[in-house]
Amino acid sequence: MFDDVKYLKFKSYLNTYCPHCRNSFNVERKDQKYLVYKAIYKEQEIELKLSPFLDVFEVESSVPIDINDKLTDLLCPKCKKSLIVEEPVCGECGSPVAEMIITAFSKLIPFFICLNHGCTWHGLTKADQNKIKLKIPRQEMPEQDMKLRAANHTEVPYGYTTELAQLEAGRCLQCKEPKCVKGCPVNIDIPTFIRLITEEKIDEAAKKIKERNVLPAVCGRVCPQESQCEALCILGLRDKPVGIGNLERFVADFERKMDLVKVPIISNKLNKKIAVVGSGPSGLTVAADLVQLGYSVTIFEALHESGGVLVYGIPEFRLPKSIVSFEVDYLKKMGVRVEMNHVIGKTITIDELLQHFNAVFIGVGAGLPVFMNIPGETLGNVFSANEYLTRMNLMKAYKFPEYDTPKPRGNRVVVIGGGNVAMDSARTAIRTGAAEVTIVYRRSRQELPARHEEVRHAEEEGVKFMLLTSPVRYLGTDQAMLKGMECIRMQLGAPDSSGRRRPVPIENSNFIINCDIAVVAIGNSSNPIIFQSAQDIKRNKWGYIEVNPETNETSKEFVYSGGDIVTGSATVIQAMGAGRIAANAMHNKLSAT
Amino acid sequence: MNNFSTVDEILDFAMDAEQKAVDFYIDLGEKMKNEEMKSVFIEFAQEEVKHKARLMKIKEERIFEMSAEKIADLKISDYVDTIQITPEMSYQTALIVAMNREKAAFKLYTRLSAKTDLPGLKDMFLSLAQEESKHKLRFEIEYDEYILREN
Ligand SMILES: Cc1cc2nc3c(=O)[nH]c(=O)nc-3n(C[C@H](O)[C@H](O)[C@H](O)COP(=O)(O)OP(=O)(O)OC[C@H]3O[C@@H](n4cnc5c(N)ncnc54)[C@H](O)[C@@H]3O)c2cc1C
Ligand code: SF4
Repeated sequence: MFDDVKYLKFKSYLNTYCPHCRNSFNVERKDQKYLVYKAIYKEQEIELKLSPFLDVFEVESSVPIDINDKLTDLLCPKCKKSLIVEEPVCGECGSPVAEMIITAFSKLIPFFICLNHGCTWHGLTKADQNKIKLKIPRQEMPEQDMKLRAANHTEVPYGYTTELAQLEAGRCLQCKEPKCVKGCPVNIDIPTFIRLITEEKIDEAAKKIKERNVLPAVCGRVCPQESQCEALCILGLRDKPVGIGNLERFVADFERKMDLVKVPIISNKLNKKIAVVGSGPSGLTVAADLVQLGYSVTIFEALHESGGVLVYGIPEFRLPKSIVSFEVDYLKKMGVRVEMNHVIGKTITIDELLQHFNAVFIGVGAGLPVFMNIPGETLGNVFSANEYLTRMNLMKAYKFPEYDTPKPRGNRVVVIGGGNVAMDSARTAIRTGAAEVTIVYRRSRQELPARHEEVRHAEEEGVKFMLLTSPVRYLGTDQAMLKGMECIRMQLGAPDSSGRRRPVPIENSNFIINCDIAVVAIGNSSNPIIFQSAQDIKRNKWGYIEVNPETNETSKEFVYSGGDIVTGSATVIQAMGAGRIAANAMHNKLSAT
Repeated sequence: MNNFSTVDEILDFAMDAEQKAVDFYIDLGEKMKNEEMKSVFIEFAQEEVKHKARLMKIKEERIFEMSAEKIADLKISDYVDTIQITPEMSYQTALIVAMNREKAAFKLYTRLSAKTDLPGLKDMFLSLAQEESKHKLRFEIEYDEYILREN
């Protein structure tokens, strides 16, 4: 048992000192390194050499020591004082232990080894463990070089190596009342999965996460952990929080790459059918949960690829599409049918679905772009972020003519908005060869709703930020193509009753930005197509579906909903959480009928 | 344009304007295709009914307060393009309609206040203008918060 020192790097070199005279036990000769001690064994004084590398249990002694024999004493070769202490005793076999001092993270810390030959216990006191943990800096993921990545679509972070993951996992304090779990919208048992990483049981860690989250490789990449689990991590009070998202990603990638993903065999097939409309994270969660309970599940997807925003919105360099298709394939292997190119509301109505299925889940997202309603929005090359990203991601316009969709012509791109969608659009523009990409945002840097990491990446890649600026109209050429954008400077007004400072235009501060592509990324709303033939599904004034929050059932019996079409644009994990609530409620209701 | 000589005349005029707004929204609500937008306009109409009731109270009690409070103007409606009113209009468009109406009312009262030198009347107009800018701000905040959410 040597878990106690797992947060020191495996096989790390230990500098050891006598607790009495502070002389070093380390000896280095040519390429040989050892720790040298005097020992008393069978009433004889012998010389003992141990490996200075943590977890390498090589022992050389002047007299052979029988396995499971205990040394009577261990002494400092310089001051000859005994190193044996009364407390603690060996955590494994209860034998007496010897104390020495090691340096770790620029601290001197007592370190103990068992005197029973053959027992590999060595450790630190609990208090020291925590001291060391606090000294381990947060391990950031290695990333692609910023110049290099600005010209390719490959994912930016490489992910943790096993070694980095172990080190990072070792920072977790294993709190008795873990705050992080409360911050997670689906309450993953975070400390347990992190502990399993330190125990090198990565497959079990993956199982632990999947109890609550069916798409960990996706969430590890795109969840805003900094405002969820990591925001509440106790370590964050004194230092940077544990890299929970990075660890989640590591576990999921490890499981996939090492082929550890097992498709469960579903034995108790029920004679009940579920239709899921939309294959975004909410729909995929419903499908995964219900197919495992024995339902026969069919997903209807309007587009020719499944995954929702995960495939047509979030770009490859942030979420490789192979990960999404792996997850969808996994569902298919479990028996989920996926019908592409089916626009529900047009080809089939909800009522028609209800004739063939016992229940329907609507997870169609909020895919209708919002525009600012300013003059010139209909000019050529003024795109919604949806259209721009769909062209680039799903249609692979950057690979034209290999793919059919041409990429819009233009070199100077402005992106309006400050959320993830805006950052994704700007970073996509950089990668597809735009000479100049500028984010135009009405508020100040502090209010940018995008993830910090996205803003940092965008800046590193050369995206310019024009803050406290709002477009007032687009200017066109004679051929009605965009040639510029008139903007106005903004200032933040006094805080209103809600405490928010709202941007107000500064009169006569107008100026013109020359640009030939504009991408509007200010938000999305609900797409009315599906409702044209389903007026009986109650919606609110924003066009979002109203549900019973306990069950996610809509005003129409046996029709459930969740994700962005209920909440408005939110997050992947919230959509998944909503899917799970609906799946549970559907199961309860259908089990009772 | 009307010539006003008493505060009562002004209040009658303003109440009539609020009633016109009520009728406008109810009429618009009836034209809407879906239930949600119908109820949005009924809600707007109800707000106007409240505004009218407030004026009625002022007329009866003959007390109105000129507050020194400066109402923020987010100027959102100054920069939106003309919109088309259709039976399928969205909540975003409905907010623009409402902001524009409140702005027009604010401008009207501000103009009227500039035209009169009688202190009682001037204050009454200014107070009405201030009320309208409050109403506009309520719509602007909703627009800023939800429509321009990531902007
Ligand atoms: C560019 C971008 C970046 C984002 N970045 C992040 C991020 O970093 N982190 C994060 O947590 N969230 C992010 N989000 C938000 C997140 O992706 C969404 O909140 C989430 O995908 C919502 O899931 P959903 O299941 O509700 O719907 P969606 O993912 O929108 O999927 C809905 C699916 O339904 C289909 N559909 C629609 N109508 C019909 C119909 N009538 N018939 C059949 N199918 C239909 C659509 O084609 C789509 O496939 C981002 C969003 C965008 C657009
Ligand atoms: S709050 Fe932080 S330190 Fe505590 S269990 Fe969670 S991840 Fe570990």
